[in-house]
Amino acid sequence: MEINAQGLEIGYGEFVAVEGMDITVKKGEITTIIGPNGSGKSTVLKALTRLLKYRKGAVYLDSRDLASFGSRELARRVGVLPQRHSAPPDFKVKDLVGYGRMPYQKWYSKHNEEDKKVIEWALKATGTWELRDKSINECSGGESQRVWIATVLTQQPEILFLDEPTTYLDISHQLETMRLVRKLNRESGIGVVMVLHDLSQALEVSDRIVVIKGGRKYSEGTPDEVITSRMMREVYGVDCDILRIPGRRAPLIAYREIS
Amino acid sequence: MRSQKKVSLLRVGTVLLALLLLLAGMSLVSMAVGSAGYSVPEILRALFSAEKSPVKTIVVNLRLPRISLAILIGASLAAAGALLQSVMRNPLADPGTIGVSAGAGTAATTILLLFPHLTSSVPLFAFGGAALACVLIYMMAWKEGVDPTRIILSGVAINSVLGAYNSLLQLLNSDSLEGVLAFMNGSLSGRSWYQVRLLSVYASIGLILAFLCIKSANALQLGDEMAKSLGVKVSGSRVLLSGVAAFLAASTVSVAGMIGFVGLVVPHIARLLVGSDYKAMLPTSVVLGALVLLAADTLGRTVVPGMEIPVGIVMAVCGGPFFLYLLRKKGKASGN
Repeated sequence: MEINAQGLEIGYGEFVAVEGMDITVKKGEITTIIGPNGSGKSTVLKALTRLLKYRKGAVYLDSRDLASFGSRELARRVGVLPQRHSAPPDFKVKDLVGYGRMPYQKWYSKHNEEDKKVIEWALKATGTWELRDKSINECSGGESQRVWIATVLTQQPEILFLDEPTTYLDISHQLETMRLVRKLNRESGIGVVMVLHDLSQALEVSDRIVVIKGGRKYSEGTPDEVITSRMMREVYGVDCDILRIPGRRAPLIAYREIS
Repeated sequence: MRSQKKVSLLRVGTVLLALLLLLAGMSLVSMAVGSAGYSVPEILRALFSAEKSPVKTIVVNLRLPRISLAILIGASLAAAGALLQSVMRNPLADPGTIGVSAGAGTAATTILLLFPHLTSSVPLFAFGGAALACVLIYMMAWKEGVDPTRIILSGVAINSVLGAYNSLLQLLNSDSLEGVLAFMNGSLSGRSWYQVRLLSVYASIGLILAFLCIKSANALQLGDEMAKSLGVKVSGSRVLLSGVAAFLAASTVSVAGMIGFVGLVVPHIARLLVGSDYKAMLPTSVVLGALVLLAADTLGRTVVPGMEIPVGIVMAVCGGPFFLYLLRKKGKASGN
């Protein structure tokens, strides 16, 4: 499965947030969208999942127009974890994760055996099985992020969209979340599309990176092709060296010292 | 997993059972007390015997219809408030927010003061006014979907315009305000089985619809984008839930006038008792709403001998301070 957007223009009134955007994301791959604040990263992610309307262009899921999908039909193939989400603090972890089954259920039906199996799988895959009887407000930031990822996994999507999944988390929870994303992708072949701010993390986990600057695509390719000191200067206005260290797969970004 | 689930089910079951028992007890008390007081055995004997007696006449023709109405109205208003709090994702939402009270008030004031010969049709007009105000607010708030903040703000605007019109009308007709005041403060006095039959039809339809909305109400609590990505039609659900809530609230207003605070406070208490999951919270709100309104009405007609205090006033006087108490207590619990 792949989602393919061509010539997207997104904006509100006079304001144009994104224009001339062509982008393709695939099952089985981790694609990361990076770019400065306000460059339109989240906007693109939302348009690819129909959370936001676009003015021009088209989005296709396996060459079928995204607009022609029923809302539940789409929710069975694409899962989105928005940047902002909330649940009443007393909701139980396993109840919240169960909401991921909504696209498969009628409005009156309860969890059947299949639903229960998928919920159990999602809880175990995200390491939240032990938390299942806790309420959301008893979970730490990292735990609750894993619970939300489990909720979206329960939709059994082919591609998982995560909008800044590590923002607001401390470094250990950030790495934990990245490890989880990588594991899910490698073990179940799920596609992942993320918006990330941390470029080192993008370098490490991505198969492909798309760089956005001022609402337009600046470049795309493998991490090695894309993360260059020239890109850093032109997109972020930051000087840095990309250092290769023997024994490390991903290079390091050494920013110029603050003087 | 199993045992945990049983524990929470048990808790909800216990709460509901306790509330139902309290409601039954309160109904008995309400049959017994009043300008003529009876003992419980007297009432039960009168109710289950075939002969006519003064006790039976008073209980069956005066007190029972009033008790039934209080139960139906309390249940409907609490359900309406619970649904709206999910629609707006705002704990301060109640049927007043979407213009039900102001719309009904405007219609009733207009009829009572300007077209007094239509007074018997006030319930019909009140219902229509409530529905109209609600539709107007949603039309003003609609812009590629309905956003809760816009609903609340257009509600504030329309409520204030209607409120001003009401005040002006009352100023101009200050000598014939009795009917208007009774309507504005919600009263159950002098109601008969006719109103009970009417409202029981509306309330059953509305409550059944409300129970069918449980899943949507829960999903809306997860945030708009999350709900949307779970395949929920967010704006559609908002309009549907608001429609059911407006229907429930408008039916009560047409029968008993405006009764505040039930729709606001009761869902909060229910949430404290059984949590935010509408599967437990909605039924608890319904029973608790019935209990609270019945208690308020019973208090209102007995606390000062020989005088009736409208149930709307009792609710406001007791509900306000209780709400403040809840706010402070809740703030402490969550560490604020």
